[in-house]
Amino acid sequence: MKLPVYLLLATLPALAGAGEIDKAKAFGNPAAPLTIELFSDFQCPACRQLHLQELPMIMRDYVNTGKAYLVYKEFPLPMHPHSREAAALACASARVGKYEQVADVLFQTQPSWAESGKVYETVASVLTPAEQKKVQTLAKDPAILSEVEQDIQEGQRERVNQTPTMLIIRNGRKYPIGGSLNYDLLRRFFDDLISKQ
Amino acid sequence: MTSSRNSKPLAVLIWLVRLALGGIFLYAAWAKLRDPWMLFAMAIDAYKILPPWAVMVVARTLPWFELALGLVLVTGRLPKISSVAASALLAVFLGLMVRAYAQGQTIACGCFSTNEAISPLTLARDGSLLAGALFLVVMSFRPKKERVVSPADLSRLPDLEEAQRPFQS
Repeated sequence: MKLPVYLLLATLPALAGAGEIDKAKAFGNPAAPLTIELFSDFQCPACRQLHLQELPMIMRDYVNTGKAYLVYKEFPLPMHPHSREAAALACASARVGKYEQVADVLFQTQPSWAESGKVYETVASVLTPAEQKKVQTLAKDPAILSEVEQDIQEGQRERVNQTPTMLIIRNGRKYPIGGSLNYDLLRRFFDDLISKQ
Repeated sequence: MTSSRNSKPLAVLIWLVRLALGGIFLYAAWAKLRDPWMLFAMAIDAYKILPPWAVMVVARTLPWFELALGLVLVTGRLPKISSVAASALLAVFLGLMVRAYAQGQTIACGCFSTNEAISPLTLARDGSLLAGALFLVVMSFRPKKERVVSPADLSRLPDLEEAQRPFQS
């Protein structure tokens, strides 16, 4: 009887890594008809545009109204030298409940820190001194680095090959949408999906 | 004898290119038709060249046109029309993709699925397909007298000496 239990325990970390949702990086009603997994890179200009322009409308029309559950996923691209650091700091900030604020400031000031490399200083500007200390330590924690890595691996499994990519999930079917987009068309697509049982 | 050695490989090459091109068009059509058409509309709109009404029209009709073109190419019907149509379509696709890539736009190519970004790889792939389609155009418009004739073809011709005898006397 012990062997099956050990086998089950051994597979738990792998199962947890597969599509695990970090509640601190998720917004809205988990039982919403649509799930939006957003694979994003803090240093990518198209991700900045999505975050600043279309995402507030998605939040207003779908997430805040209980129609969609938004889950942030880190997908730092190798071509961006400060992306991984930004992703780790954002994940660490999620542990102190500040993911959204950190994501906002990182995208708003992206051109500045992308050039200067002052990622931590940017993140620290929206944290209290106590949070700064905790986030700085957490960002180097292997668990946080592994969290970023798990998001990347999940993206690779889902064939994410550009950022931003939104994976729209409805009744188990996944619809990837990559690159910049038109909100009017996206809204029609969401409404159409929601209206279908 | 040289002509007989060239004819079969050339015919096989034409058949292979036609089949490959037709298969790719069929796959492209299937990839778009299996998903809601609004996804493809978003991919077209990202190129920022068409007004909204035209985006809707293209999103709804292009996959069906690709399906028809793929079928015609695979079955070998209407070789001139199908090769010209495939070349024109691929030239338009390649032109738009090169334009978007040169402008640094981060958009999905919309070739097969909605999540494939325009990259040197997608440009090279589309360029190769266009080269294949142009090859079919050249082959289908070749003047008949230049066509390679094999000994087997000659054996099927009527006896010319016999046919010309009345005129020789």
